[in-house]
Amino acid sequence: MSNFQERLLSALKDDIASRPVVTGTAPVRRSRRLLGTAVAVTGAAAAATVAITVFAGGSTPAFAVDERPDGSIEVRISEFRDPSELEAKLESAGVNAEVDYLPVGQTCKSPRGKGSAGGGRFEASVGRQSGGGIVFKIEKGRVRADQTLVLTVSSDQDRPAEPPTSLHLQIVEGDVSPCEVVSMPMPSGPAPTGHQPSGVETGNGEEPGLSVNNG
Amino acid sequence: MRLNEDPAAFEAFYRRHIDAVMRFVVRRVSDPHLAADLTADIFLAALDSAHTYRPGRGTEIAWLYGVARNVVSAQHRRSVREAEVTSRVAGRRLMDDDDLGEMVERIDAERQMRRALEAMRDLPEGERAVLELVAIDQLTVSEAAAVLEIRQVTARVRLHRARRALQQVASPSAAYMEGQA
Repeated sequence: MSNFQERLLSALKDDIASRPVVTGTAPVRRSRRLLGTAVAVTGAAAAATVAITVFAGGSTPAFAVDERPDGSIEVRISEFRDPSELEAKLESAGVNAEVDYLPVGQTCKSPRGKGSAGGGRFEASVGRQSGGGIVFKIEKGRVRADQTLVLTVSSDQDRPAEPPTSLHLQIVEGDVSPCEVVSMPMPSGPAPTGHQPSGVETGNGEEPGLSVNNG
Repeated sequence: MRLNEDPAAFEAFYRRHIDAVMRFVVRRVSDPHLAADLTADIFLAALDSAHTYRPGRGTEIAWLYGVARNVVSAQHRRSVREAEVTSRVAGRRLMDDDDLGEMVERIDAERQMRRALEAMRDLPEGERAVLELVAIDQLTVSEAAAVLEIRQVTARVRLHRARRALQQVASPSAAYMEGQA
């Protein structure tokens, strides 16, 4: 490279170093705790339409979208990568979707749009099996044509098969605003392993949706 | 992608694309100082919007060209209003005399491409954008579609229209017909 190119590279690396520190930048060795230690379901839990469980997986491909005979759609994510391909697959199954996979400690600024009528209610259950993946079911007609399923996952992006530290699922009516990345508040108190806590609390009790944290 | 968090990942990314980015720039501007500024600005903008990169939605270079297009067109708009470019990293200050000479050579080498771009200037924006990326920047149609965030079929249609429009302008029979009329 020319001197200009080398100098520019140094200047840009200095710029990276001078950026405000965002949580989750340093790779943190997380204890492999099970998804489901803390579950917050917001909104009235009435219609049992979306259920989340953890399954033992981790093999390729990253996800599977299965249309069931009863018209429901089962989504199985074993690795948190290729979000746009998952979006495309869901869209071809008739569900508008907006999927964002973010690094540990980051999430999308909420709200992303208008919550669905009825508070976007759904009941969720989270299993306690080992493995990094999640599976959830979308009942037939649960996400209408004018609605979008918004899935936001925070996980260690260098290890996409690891369980997520945070997962947020909601149904939005009309337009969904693009993800504006913000850092999540870190929980107080030391992590059981003595390492830096990577689990985070999401969900404010107002926004319809489901939040899971794996701290 | 963690470009803006991981200097090593960024360095690899930079080395992969610095020549393509400089080529992109000197096909559009002929001032070597401005070319250096824009090169710096494009990588800064890539760092600022690293979270928008989605591996599944087009290639890395397509994403970067999308960023580059925004930076260059913002500069064109700005140059009307303000002469001075302010940036966190002033590219022009990083050039010594040798670098300046090399930048001038790069600019000279792309003279024909800048002329071709000039010839496309009157095309409708959507069509010109596709033709520009395919004919000037040598992207495939699907890469150009990814840069512009349009469907491939749309890109193909626009490319076809743009080529036809240019042929009509350039072909002798068209000139003859116009002369007769």
